[in-house]
Amino acid sequence: MRTKDGHLTVLVALIIVLMTAGAIVSGGNYLSLFNLQSMAGQVPEIGLLAIGVMLAMSVGNGGIELSGIALANLSGVAAATLVSSHLSASADPGMFSLFFILVALAVGVLGGLLNGLLIAYLKITAILCTLGTQMFFIGLAVVLSDGRSVRVGAPGPLYEIGNGYLLEIPISFLLFIAVACAIGFVLRYTPFGLWLMLNGSNPKASEYAGFPQNKVIIATYTVSGVLSSLAGIIIAARTINVKWDYGTSYLLVAILIAVMAGVRPEGGYGRVVCVVLSAIALQMMSSMLNFMGLSNFVRDFAWGALLLGFLAIGRFRLTDFFSPQARPVTTSVQSPQARKP
Amino acid sequence: MKISTLLKGSVFAVAAMTLAGIAAPASAQDGKTVTTVVKISGIPWFDRMETGVNLFAEQNPEMNIRQVGPATADSAQQLQIVQDLVATGVDALAVVPMDPDILEGILGRAMDRGTIIVTHEADNQANTHADIEAFDNNDYGASLNERLAQCMGGEGKWTTFVGSLGSRTHMQWVGAGEENAKKYPGMELVDPNNESFDDANGTYEKAKEILRKHPDIKGFQTSAGNDVLGVGRAIEEAGLAGKVCLVGTGLPNPSAAYLDSGAITAIGFWDPQKAGMAMNAVAKFMLEGKEITDGMDLGVEGYEKVTVKPGAGKGLLIIGNGMVLADKDTYKDYLF
Repeated sequence: MRTKDGHLTVLVALIIVLMTAGAIVSGGNYLSLFNLQSMAGQVPEIGLLAIGVMLAMSVGNGGIELSGIALANLSGVAAATLVSSHLSASADPGMFSLFFILVALAVGVLGGLLNGLLIAYLKITAILCTLGTQMFFIGLAVVLSDGRSVRVGAPGPLYEIGNGYLLEIPISFLLFIAVACAIGFVLRYTPFGLWLMLNGSNPKASEYAGFPQNKVIIATYTVSGVLSSLAGIIIAARTINVKWDYGTSYLLVAILIAVMAGVRPEGGYGRVVCVVLSAIALQMMSSMLNFMGLSNFVRDFAWGALLLGFLAIGRFRLTDFFSPQARPVTTSVQSPQARKP
Repeated sequence: MKISTLLKGSVFAVAAMTLAGIAAPASAQDGKTVTTVVKISGIPWFDRMETGVNLFAEQNPEMNIRQVGPATADSAQQLQIVQDLVATGVDALAVVPMDPDILEGILGRAMDRGTIIVTHEADNQANTHADIEAFDNNDYGASLNERLAQCMGGEGKWTTFVGSLGSRTHMQWVGAGEENAKKYPGMELVDPNNESFDDANGTYEKAKEILRKHPDIKGFQTSAGNDVLGVGRAIEEAGLAGKVCLVGTGLPNPSAAYLDSGAITAIGFWDPQKAGMAMNAVAKFMLEGKEITDGMDLGVEGYEKVTVKPGAGKGLLIIGNGMVLADKDTYKDYLF
């Protein structure tokens, strides 16, 4: 059902180039184990949010997820305040970690469900709905924490999720890859995945075809909420503290990653593997700029240039140049509905 | 995805990178690296700090010294920068944390890795070798009040503004001010601790109300950076410039007009330029393995005789005497 996509090729090439360039500018330091681990440890939180954005975009109807980072922070803040008032992180690290994760995931499910219900049944445009819930989540987190950062502490298992290594790979990164694989599997091999993409391609047709449209939308946003809360758990584990205004810049970066990955904003198409690679590429690029000691304003510029570049690739079908066997070049621009899903 | 297509992709990407003008900088391997990470780049306060960091770099050409900071005010962005810098293997980091709590984790790991950590404006930071504060909060509050009392001639009604009642330092400042005012029996504190929320407009409205309620008020002591602007505007519009005294925390450039007109008597602040130099000086001492002791001279103006106390964690709390009180005649020395 998927056409060969040049984005994958371009992203892989970009990562190879970034690795080479990074090694050259840093005298090899960039490829040191410490830095590779450090970069891998930074990817999961933003990567999970980007997958959430991808799902929301793919389901169509102008789908987008703006409440991701707010929900992630809310999950962390709610879990930290609730669990630490009943359990002590130092006395019982195992139970603390378990309940922290459970509460955070529950908040993610509820938040995502709220988005899904509003969008599916009240037919609120996703951009307005998630903007509203974003403010709602931020407000809740501020009230719960009195606007201060909440200490989670470093209870064993939770700390390991954020900072531990398995076979020299950060556990948070392994978790991220596992979740990405699971989502990729669901999208590719289950009816839900098919419904999700087809609904994005042509909502009207899927309605007449009798798809459980509302259920698909609700499930999509709920999964997106769960991904946000996973990001929240990783943030809490990494930084030992949670705060309502952490990562305010992630909102746009997550969308940038999704678009760079070739997810179609109109819906109906998006690949998890591309989102993962795109998140990795973006992280490598910003780390490299930090290695070179360039101003962070340059980074914004570079990200913007990259985004425009990828949009151009999509628009002018430059991807055909990279994978010539993919599809014949046509002169007319196909509408999203007409395109083979 | 054949090898050839991959190759083509690489060629394209290399071309793009070259076009973007990314070139390899020369990395100085000889000297020790000290990098200052500020809350946000490109705002006057931290631009001023950068002048200090650059000055310190000129004085220590053998060292590799520079300042960086996120383009947006977001603690996550600052965290990423710190994390990447630790990975590059800098010898010392001088950090002005956006949110001290968020940085605890990475700073702890950096210290485990042998990186020297110096912080500023974060006296609650546990994972740091030394936190530097420009002044003792009680001394600062008392000095502001002393300047106010001097202007008021030691008598009359006065009031105080704080950013919010939850702001610990602001409450310390006005508290120390009240304590100081007890020296002058003629000074009467009315309606204290007005909350300004650092909003010049809101402060302006509130100051107008106070001027109406107490037409005989003689003095204002304010705390948040924008308070002097709001109160100053209210005083000026009421035609009371020079008759009602106003002393508070403020920055020279924005306050210039009101200082000139006399609506603001004096502003208090600390000079980020000196703070930046002091952080780098402490980092340099620590890299050289020297101990920081009570009464030590950091070689930076305002930090000639620092007080050293145990900090929030295992590190030190270094307090300078870097407070600056500037009025009409002296503010031009500190234009930022």
